[in-house]
Amino acid sequence: MAATIQAKDRSDLRRSQTRRLRKDGYIPAVVYGKGKEPVTVAVEGVELIKNVRDEGRNAVFSLDIEGKNQLNVMLYDYQSDQIKDELIHADFYQVDMSTEVDVEVDINFEGEAQGVKDGGVKQQTLHTIHVRSTPNNIPDEIKIDISELTIGDSITVGDLTSGNGYEFLDEPDTTVITILPPQSADVPEEGEEGGDEEAEPEVINEKSEDEE
Amino acid sequence: MLMPKRVKYRRQHRGSLKGRAKGGTQVSHGEFGLQALEGEWITSRQIEAARIAMTRYMKRGGKVWIKIFPDKPKTAKPLEVRMGSGKGSPEGWVAVVKPGKILFEIAGVNEEVAREALRLASHKLPVKTKFVKREEIGGDSNES
Repeated sequence: MAATIQAKDRSDLRRSQTRRLRKDGYIPAVVYGKGKEPVTVAVEGVELIKNVRDEGRNAVFSLDIEGKNQLNVMLYDYQSDQIKDELIHADFYQVDMSTEVDVEVDINFEGEAQGVKDGGVKQQTLHTIHVRSTPNNIPDEIKIDISELTIGDSITVGDLTSGNGYEFLDEPDTTVITILPPQSADVPEEGEEGGDEEAEPEVINEKSEDEE
Repeated sequence: MLMPKRVKYRRQHRGSLKGRAKGGTQVSHGEFGLQALEGEWITSRQIEAARIAMTRYMKRGGKVWIKIFPDKPKTAKPLEVRMGSGKGSPEGWVAVVKPGKILFEIAGVNEEVAREALRLASHKLPVKTKFVKREEIGGDSNES
C-alpha cells in the first residue's frame, strides 16, 4: 500500500502565514487533478522528503488531509531554493489509478563498459526518460546494461525494451549513452595561451561607433 | 581565452549584480557541478585558469562543460591618467555571475575525482562556491 503523508488544511494564504509554516518545518503545497477543485495544504518537509526518497519520485502516496480526506496523489512538481537546498513548495497531482500519466524516470547503468576500461569516456546524454503508464506500473528506474559497449558504441532509446505496462515517449533515435574515444590532451601549457589575448572581436556596426 | 566573435558595441554599461541567478542553477549536462554562492564578474582568464586546473587534474578522463561565457567587455583607464576624457578602453571580457549559477560541470569521472578537480578550479575563482550533484529532492547530496 502506498505510503501515507499527513497534510493539514491551509486556508490562510497570506504570505506571513506561509512564512510561518516554512519556519515550523512545513511546506506549502497544492493538490489538483483533472476535473477536481484544487486544495491548498501544508505537509511536513522532512516527512515528504523521506517518503519520496524511500518510495521514489513517481510513487503514488496517500495524502491524508487532517483525517477527513484521503487522496491518491503523485508529487507532480516542486520548487526548491537552489542555494539553501530547501523545499519551498510542492504540487501534488490527484491521480486516477486507471488513467495513464506521463512521467520522467531516471536512467541508471549496470556494469562498467568495456570501452571505459580501454580508456574511453562514458558520455551520458539522457539522464531521464519520458514514460507513459498507469500510476501502478511506473518503473522506479530504467536499468541499462552497458558492460558490452566498446569505444564508439552508443545506445539509443530505440534499443531499450519497454517493460510490461509502460512505453517510452522519447524519439527512438535519441542517444542515451555513448562511449567516446580517449580525449587528446587539450590543456595548453602555461604561456601557450597568451597569443590571442589582445585580439578584439569584430564590431558589427564599427562605422557608426567611430563617428560618435 | 573565451570571448565573443562579434559584438555590436565595443563598450557596455557596468550594470548591477542584484538578485540571484535566473537560470542555469541546476546541473544539466554532467553529473557534478560547481555552483557560485556569490555574485561577481568572472574574467575569461579566471575561467581559463579554472578549466586548466580541472582538466589537468582529471588527466584525459571525463568531460568538462563551462556553463558561463564572458560576453561583457570590461574597460580600464591607463595608469596615471586623470579622471574624465571619456570611458577607458576594453581590457578584457567578463561573465556576470549571480548566486546560484552553475559555473562548471563534470561527467565521466567518479565523485572523488570530480570533487577534487572542482575544488582546484574553485581556487582560481573570485567567488565562494559549492560542489553540487545532479538534482535530488531535498538536496541532501548537495553539500559544500
